[in-house]
Amino acid sequence: MLEETLVLFKNVRQPGYSGDLASYQSSGGYSALKKALKMKPEEIVNTVKESNLRGRGGAGFPTGLKWSFMAKGTGKPSYLVINADEGEPGTFKDREIMLKEPHMFLEGYMIGCYAIGCHHGYIYVRGEFVPAMQRLQEAIDECYQSGLLGDKIAGSDFKLDITLHPGAGAYICGEETALLDSLEGRRGQPRTKPPFPAVAGFNGCPTSVNNVETLMNVPSIINDGAEAFKELGPPNNAGTHLVSLSGHVNNPGVYELKMGVNLKDIIYDIGGGILGGKELKGVIPGGSSTPVLRPDEIDIPYDFDSLAKAKSMMGSSAIIVFNEDTDVVKFLYRIVKFYNHESCGQCTPCREGTNWSRLMLRQFVQQQGTPQQLKRLYRVGGNMMGTTLCPLGDACAMPLRAFLEKYPEEFQAHFAEAS
Amino acid sequence: MPTFYLDDQAIEFEPGEKIIAAAKRAGIDIPHYCYHPALSVVATCRMCLVDIVDMGNGRPAPKLMTSCSTDAAEGMKILSQNEKVVEGRELVMEFLLVNHPLDCPICDQAGECTLQDFSFEYGSGNSEMEYSKRVYGWRDIGTFVTLERNRCIHCTRCDRFTREITGTNEFGVFNRGHQLTVDTFTDQPMTNKFQGNMADICPVGCITEREFRFKKRAWKLKKTNSICNRCSTGCNITVEEDKNKVFRFKPRENQEVNQWWMCDDGRISYRDYGKNKNRFLQPMGRVKGNLVKASWDQIFEALKSRIADLSPNPNEVVALSDNFASNEELFLLKKMLADVFDSDKIFFPLRAWSQHETAYPIDSLITTDKSPNRAGAIALGLLGDEDDAKLKEALSETVKIAFILGNPFNEDNEILELLAKAELIVYIGTENNHWTEKADVLLPGQTHVEKEGTFTNKNSRVQRSNIAVKAPKETKPEWMILTELIQFMGKDADFHTSRAVFEAIGASNDHFKGMTFDSVGDLGSLLTSI
Repeated sequence: MLEETLVLFKNVRQPGYSGDLASYQSSGGYSALKKALKMKPEEIVNTVKESNLRGRGGAGFPTGLKWSFMAKGTGKPSYLVINADEGEPGTFKDREIMLKEPHMFLEGYMIGCYAIGCHHGYIYVRGEFVPAMQRLQEAIDECYQSGLLGDKIAGSDFKLDITLHPGAGAYICGEETALLDSLEGRRGQPRTKPPFPAVAGFNGCPTSVNNVETLMNVPSIINDGAEAFKELGPPNNAGTHLVSLSGHVNNPGVYELKMGVNLKDIIYDIGGGILGGKELKGVIPGGSSTPVLRPDEIDIPYDFDSLAKAKSMMGSSAIIVFNEDTDVVKFLYRIVKFYNHESCGQCTPCREGTNWSRLMLRQFVQQQGTPQQLKRLYRVGGNMMGTTLCPLGDACAMPLRAFLEKYPEEFQAHFAEAS
Repeated sequence: MPTFYLDDQAIEFEPGEKIIAAAKRAGIDIPHYCYHPALSVVATCRMCLVDIVDMGNGRPAPKLMTSCSTDAAEGMKILSQNEKVVEGRELVMEFLLVNHPLDCPICDQAGECTLQDFSFEYGSGNSEMEYSKRVYGWRDIGTFVTLERNRCIHCTRCDRFTREITGTNEFGVFNRGHQLTVDTFTDQPMTNKFQGNMADICPVGCITEREFRFKKRAWKLKKTNSICNRCSTGCNITVEEDKNKVFRFKPRENQEVNQWWMCDDGRISYRDYGKNKNRFLQPMGRVKGNLVKASWDQIFEALKSRIADLSPNPNEVVALSDNFASNEELFLLKKMLADVFDSDKIFFPLRAWSQHETAYPIDSLITTDKSPNRAGAIALGLLGDEDDAKLKEALSETVKIAFILGNPFNEDNEILELLAKAELIVYIGTENNHWTEKADVLLPGQTHVEKEGTFTNKNSRVQRSNIAVKAPKETKPEWMILTELIQFMGKDADFHTSRAVFEAIGASNDHFKGMTFDSVGDLGSLLTSI
C-alpha cells in the first residue's frame, strides 16, 4: 500500500498546524536559513546542484544548474523571481503550499536569494489566487516584523526584500519570459531566446525564474544534505514532489510522494480507485498539456525520466484521471479550447493552429466529423509541434496528437452519419 | 572574419550577427515577414526557418531554427533548401493564409506583397481551411495610411516602428490568440510624420498609403532612382511612374542619409509633378506689355540683340537663384555671368536652419531648410547672407539685366520691387509666379523628375537625381538653356549632357574635385573638401 512520504508537508499533515511563523519555527523552521547564511553562496549552489533537484514547474530543469548559469560580474543586480502563476489545468499544488505552508517556501526562497545574490525578490502569483496571495502576504509581513526580511535578514548582513505581484489572468504568463514581461508592466508574451533570462531577464538583469515547490525543497536539502535528498527517489529524479491528483478518483487532492513510485499505485492506493467503481479510460499524467496514457500504459514509475520513456511528461505532477463515461472528443475539445483562448497570438503556428484545431474539433463534438478532417486535425496538430516561439504550441499539439493516436475509435464515433 | 556555411556557401559574419543578416549581406535572401533590420527581433512569423545541421560544435540544432534570432557561429553548417525546411515553410505559409482574405485583386499591395510572393514560391497551393475567416471591423487611423486588418499577418512591424523608430507609440497590439490585432489606441489618430514608412514595412496590404489607394497596380510602375527635393536632407527615393505620370515616391535604402525611411511631406511631393495649370510650356517674350509665345531661336535672337542694346557694365548684371537648382545649373549660371557679362553678382537665399535632434534618429530627416541644394550653392561660391543685405545693396545700384532661376526670394516684396526696375528680366523656370509677372523673357525649364542633376545635401553629400518622366516637348532642362545661352552670346560652353557639366565642376571646383556622375553613384558621395 503506497503512502505519502512527508518532507515538504511534514508540518501540514500535523493536526492543528496553523502554518504561521510561530508554529513553523516551533517545528524547526528557519534553521536552514540560519545555516545557509553561514555558508558561502557558491556552496549553496553546489549543494543544490549535487542534490539533483529538478524544477517542479513542468520542464524539470536542474535548479542548481540554472542558478550556476546566472551571468556574473555584469555590474547589474541579480534577480530570483518566483513563478507562482500556476495555470496548467490539473495543477493546484503551489496554491496549497501558499495557503498551508508559506514559510517553508519563503525560507527556501530566502536561501535561494542569498545563493545567487538577489536583494529584491518578486513572487508573481496567479491573479485568481486571492486567498493564497493574502496568506502569503501575511507570511511575508510576519517575516519583516520578526527581522527575517529587511536590511539584515535573520541577523546577518544580507539585505533582502520580497514583493508579491499579482498576475492578471493569462496562462501564458506562466512561461518565464512572458512572466518577466508582465512583471515589467508590459504585455505578457514570451520573448525570443537567446538571450536567456540568466543573461538578460527582469529589466535586462540576470534572472532566475523558479517554481514555488522547487524552492520549498531547498530548506531540507540544506538541513539534511544533498545525499539524503537524492535517496528519496530514483537516480536523476531526486526528492519528493507534490502530486495534484484530480478527475475521476475517489480521493482527489495534493499528495506528497517520492519520485518514482508507481503511477497505477498513485491512482488506486492514494486516489482510492476510480470514482463510482467505473473502468479507467485514461490518465493525463502531468497537466493538460502532456500526452495522455491509456490504462495499459500506467504501470510505470512516476518520475521525469520514466514518463519521458513512455512518450509523455511528468510536467507539473498533475494527474488527471478519467473514467469510461468520459467523451474523449469533448474532453480534448475543452483542452484545445483552453490553449486557443490562452495563446498570446504573436507567433503564427500557435495563433492560427490552435484556433483551426478548435474549429475542427467543434465539428466532431457536433457529430459532424469526417475521416478527412481527422487526418487534417492530426496534421495541423503536428505542424504546431516544435515550430512555435514558446512551448504553448507544443502544449496544445501534444495532447491533440496523443488523443488522436490513442483513441481513434472515439473520434470515428463522432463522424457524421453520411460518412 | 569568422565564417559559416549556408547551403555550402561560405559566408563571413561579424560576431553577434544573426544568420539572416549575414546571409543578406552575402546576397542571399531568406524569406521572412517579422524581421526587419531596423527593428528589434521578435521571431514570431516563423518564416525564416533554417535547418542547422551543425551549430559549430558538431551538434545539430534540435529543431528548425529561426534565422532572424539565431546568432551565426564559426563553422556553423546551415541548410535552407532541404526537405525539412521546405516543409517547414510550407506549413507556416498555410497557417498565415488560414485567415488571410486573399483579396489580392482589390488589394493595393498586390504585386509587391511578400505574402503573395512567398505563397507562390514556398506555399503548397492548397487551402484546407473550411471555416469562415476572421474578420475585423473597419478602423480609421488617420490621414496618411489606411488600416485593413483582415489582411494582417501579425508581424507587428508597425507596432515596433512607432515604438522603436519614431518613439510616438501610437500603435499597439490588442487582444490575443487568433483575435490578436494591431490598432491605434482608442480613437487616437496617427500623428507622426513618418506614417508612410509603416505602409512600406508592412509586408502585406494591411497598411497602405491613402494617396496611392486604388490608383495603380504596383507591377505597372516603372521605378527610377532619384532623391527627394523637399528639404536639405535629400532622402534617397525611387520615382514611380506609369505612362509618364508620377504615382508615388518611395524611399530607397541609403544608410548614410535616410536609412529606409522618408517623411510624409516628401512622399506627398509627388503631387507637384502631375498636371499643372500654372506651368508655362513655351518660351515667351514680352511685347508691348503682353507675353507672346516664340520659338527658342527667336527668343535667343531677341535676347541677344536686347543685351547688345543695353551693353551693361559688369555691375549692372545680377542673377538670383533659389536652392532648388542643381549644382550644374548653379555652375552654369555663374559661368554665364562671368564669361558673358564679367559679373560675379549671383545671389541665393542663405537662411539659418535647424533640425530636431532627439533620441530617435528618424526625427533629423526633417529640416527647416526646405530646399535641396543650399550646401551646393555655398560650395560653388554663390553670394548669400541671412538678411539678404548684400543682395539689397547690389540692387540699390543700377541694374540693367537680371536673370532669375527658379523662384528665389519670393517671401520678400522689397527685393521684387527693387528688381522690377531692371531693364531686362530673364526668367528660367517652370511655373508662373510673381517673378514671371515682371519678367521680359520666360524660358521654360523642366521639373525635378524630368531632368537629371546633382544636389548637395545638408551633410555635404552630393547625390544624383535622374530622369524619371519625359518632359513636355518645348521645354529644355535648365543646364541646356544656360549652355545654349552662353553659346548664343558667343562664349565657349561645350556641354552636351549634364554629366559633362558635372565633370567640368569636378575639374574646376576644389570642393567637387575629381567627382563624376559615376563616382557619385546611386548612394552619393561627400564633397572632397568642405
